[in-house]
Amino acid sequence: MNGLEIKDVVVDFGSFRLDATLSVPRGCVTGLVGRNGAGKSTLIKAIMRQVEASGDILYNGIPFGGNETEVLRKIACVFDSPHFNAYLKPKRLVKIVKGMYPAFDGDLYAELMKKFGLPDDKLVRTFSTGMKRKFGLILALCQKPDILLLDEPTSGIDPYDRGVVIDLIQQFMLDEGHTVLFSTHITEDLDKIADYLVFLQNGKILLSEEKETLCETYRLVQTAALSEEMKEGAIGVQKSMFGYTFLTKQKEVSGENVLVKTPTVEEIFVHLLGEEERK
Amino acid sequence: MHIQLSLQSGPLYEQIEYQIRAQIFSGELRAGETLPSIRTLARELKIGVITAKRAYDDLIREGFLYAVQGKGIFVSEKREDDLVNGKTERLKEQLRAAKRFAAENGVSPEQFGKILKEIMEETDERS
Repeated sequence: MNGLEIKDVVVDFGSFRLDATLSVPRGCVTGLVGRNGAGKSTLIKAIMRQVEASGDILYNGIPFGGNETEVLRKIACVFDSPHFNAYLKPKRLVKIVKGMYPAFDGDLYAELMKKFGLPDDKLVRTFSTGMKRKFGLILALCQKPDILLLDEPTSGIDPYDRGVVIDLIQQFMLDEGHTVLFSTHITEDLDKIADYLVFLQNGKILLSEEKETLCETYRLVQTAALSEEMKEGAIGVQKSMFGYTFLTKQKEVSGENVLVKTPTVEEIFVHLLGEEERK
Repeated sequence: MHIQLSLQSGPLYEQIEYQIRAQIFSGELRAGETLPSIRTLARELKIGVITAKRAYDDLIREGFLYAVQGKGIFVSEKREDDLVNGKTERLKEQLRAAKRFAAENGVSPEQFGKILKEIMEETDERS
């Protein structure tokens, strides 16, 4: 079963249009990658029912219409900027969130706040970016969701806090009924923990695939000279003073001064996108 | 059990498989010992669930591990031919490393085969 089944979801802002059909497998971490303005946040907001969208979304197989309360209690989201009132203190905010989510886990809240040294009695607006991000994630996790959406959870925070956030996501994934959809520019995070990858471009899904499959399908080739044979099937060719770098599906690429390796998520993204932009 | 991963050393699941096999051969992992669940392994190693599952699936298929529904994943009993298998496995690992090195340096599979043949002949001459 899929955690999220997104069918013909269209968000139309006039100047920007998102048109997406996508399955987000349950029990897995799916990474959402795209340039600024590609529609990542819009897609997440559409799933959270925060923007007007046509089409259908199933949440663990359940449609939104007729099950609004049930669905909204089972999905939680952490946005890149806090969506809660920063002029409040955590202890006050938590009371509000508790009222909205009956399943709110107060023990887990206390445990995580202590673990990450977040003060309960200081205005959230005085928190650093990293503290705000961790606080947002703690609030989301304590709602006991089945589906967790994260919009840039690791951007703008230091490497140590990034590690903390990644670990919290993986802790959430210990339950195989859980689903994570996670947008990020820091593709390094995806190299390791993502199971599936989705590339968004100009409001469209460019690609949606299992990460292992992707990394096995493509090779990254660096070569001094570009032979005719290589040109065939070379994706997103980049030229530098010293030669060419491109992505290919060819299994065997050989020649003099040729280096072939498994691409990182970033390399796949950059070259596929380069190829698309060239068209 | 201990596992070290590097993003620069080939597919993560292969690195896990290799290290678990090596620890079974060395006796560090004993028959009947319980291994962490797929999801715990993923979290501890900071890798995807699918990567962890693939490593265990391969090792189960090869007979190194077995899964008991609802109980967990365990190290299999040693077999008579384990020692031979162990050596074969280790040899395979080394050849795989050589294959990677060849591919990374633009040596074609044909050339690689030829080099291997040459080496085999060298040995024959000496013995």
